[in-house]
Amino acid sequence: MSDSSRFWRWGLAILGVLILLYLPVLLTERSILGVRLSNMQLLNLGLTQINLMLIAMLGALSLNYLTGMAGLISIGHAAFYATGAMVAAITGSQWGWPFPAVLVSAAAVGALVGVIAGLPSLRVRGLYFVLSTFAMHYIVVFVFQEYQFKFFDVVGVPYPEASISSFVLNTPTRWYFVLLPMVVLVFWGLKNTLSSREGRAMLAMRDHELATTSSGIDVRFLRLKAFALSSAIAAVAGALYAYYLTNVTSEFFGIHFAIQFIAMIIIGGMGSLSGALVGAALWLLLPSIITGFASQGGTDGGLFQQMLVENKSQLVQVIFGSLVIVLLIFAPTGLAGIGRKIQTRFVALWNHP
Amino acid sequence: MLAQVLFSGLALGSIYGLVALGFTVVFKATEVFNFAQGMLVVCGAFFAVTAISLLGLPFGLSLVFIVVAAATLGILIHRVLIQPLSGQSMLSVIMLTIALSIVMRAVIEITFGPQGRTLATPLPTGVFLLGELRISQLHLVAALVSWFCMGLFGAFFKFTPIGLLMRATADNHEAALVCGVNVNLMNRLAWAIGAVLAAVGGLFLGQLQLASNDLESIGLLALPAVVIGGMQSIPGAIIGGLLVGLIEQLSASYISPKASDIFIYILLILILLIRPWGLFGQKELGRV
Repeated sequence: MSDSSRFWRWGLAILGVLILLYLPVLLTERSILGVRLSNMQLLNLGLTQINLMLIAMLGALSLNYLTGMAGLISIGHAAFYATGAMVAAITGSQWGWPFPAVLVSAAAVGALVGVIAGLPSLRVRGLYFVLSTFAMHYIVVFVFQEYQFKFFDVVGVPYPEASISSFVLNTPTRWYFVLLPMVVLVFWGLKNTLSSREGRAMLAMRDHELATTSSGIDVRFLRLKAFALSSAIAAVAGALYAYYLTNVTSEFFGIHFAIQFIAMIIIGGMGSLSGALVGAALWLLLPSIITGFASQGGTDGGLFQQMLVENKSQLVQVIFGSLVIVLLIFAPTGLAGIGRKIQTRFVALWNHP
Repeated sequence: MLAQVLFSGLALGSIYGLVALGFTVVFKATEVFNFAQGMLVVCGAFFAVTAISLLGLPFGLSLVFIVVAAATLGILIHRVLIQPLSGQSMLSVIMLTIALSIVMRAVIEITFGPQGRTLATPLPTGVFLLGELRISQLHLVAALVSWFCMGLFGAFFKFTPIGLLMRATADNHEAALVCGVNVNLMNRLAWAIGAVLAAVGGLFLGQLQLASNDLESIGLLALPAVVIGGMQSIPGAIIGGLLVGLIEQLSASYISPKASDIFIYILLILILLIRPWGLFGQKELGRV
């Protein structure tokens, strides 16, 4: 039994890796084994969306680490993205540092800003802390805006082409093969952190702060550490985002940008790292799928169809907003929780048919 | 110059105070930190557009329409969304109100189009001079109506039996329940009041600017106002609103229009660090 289950597990893993490797080829050639696929058969997806999804996954993972694992609710996670983008603008666009050095500097400054942002957590709890991250978000975005208008202008901050030594990231496929390992690395790293002594202490802190303190763990230090790690990842994601888009303005990092990460981890499931991945994937890919279906249906022209076509982006928002509301009311543990439930039921059936 | 800025700051601050008051009533009753309060302001503005421009109702009837529509909306939100979530974690409830505001924004854009609409009411729009001070009549009316509403609800909570029941419910759900108070009804009433106050704010803000989704960020200024004033305190919400209006206008005219919000949020962080329970709130004691 265990042999066969191990066989299945390895088989699935290898299949997954193969699919991930084949995906960019499929999406750029837009055909599978020589058979041409229509746009809708590919769900209206392109590799650019996949790349943006991978970047968003980094953000969702870092926020889920902070909120789901350490229990610190942050409503200003976009601020760390903005920090990363700004550091990338200074070191990359202005000083001309190479791309890897830019990422490292973004991580370092991001960690520092994260510690500063986490400082109120030493004094206030719960709702008050949420509000302090809310206020911090506005302050960071204001700084970004002032910086942008001082050195660049309204059109935004331009970023140079990213390259790792001689490997220039000038096609979506190349980006894909840089971003994918990063997501895997971050996922794996965070997962391992959670099973370390520190990670367990953090989960304990989330569940019962007082009990954790009385078992000799310095909760304050732990909080700041969680903040530093999470914001460093988010800042790297911000730098990647800025480089990928090649031009970024302060308006990108509004409060809605921060909210989307919270929505992702709620859809995926609070406190589940793979849930964060699922949430980010849905949040980034579903809009273009919905848009695809809406425009396809629109050609035959009923009044209802026309309304769909005209309000595609609003429609996406209604669907997502309602999805979040429905999940919150009926499945507070998110898709990861639903998945776990199905799995336990399935396993129970398997063992006792 | 200074007097002029102070006047507009106080007038806008009165509207913020009104919206913040609605927020506090909801927070006190149901402990919901309502991020959708900004969208309720927008809804108020668009209820006004519907009544005045689309339906062509006379102004008095329009006011009735706005109040009834807003109250219904508030009750619906409580019944359909907030009540099923009672007992859930704070983040769930906060996220619910955020998701709600996303849906509301999209629905408004689908119904009314993404552009803002001008809101024409028979309220006086002229300007008169008081010494050197140019007083906009609309600002003055907005401030007066806001103060009237605040006074009205203050008296309602203080002197009427229903107000007493609502205060008792906000104080302690279980105790009120044991005394035979219909707690759900009281909470629903609180949501109705919160939505109506936001809608009145939206009516004025929509006329001072345009009725558009941009009003949401103005409505969200109620959040810092509430925290600065003290979350559990009704006078605190009003004074917080006035302070936010003053800071906004002062920094916009003396420092930079872009910086107007920043000083509010810096003050918010300072308050959170030094006196988290706000200027007028009561210190909450941590229970183990």
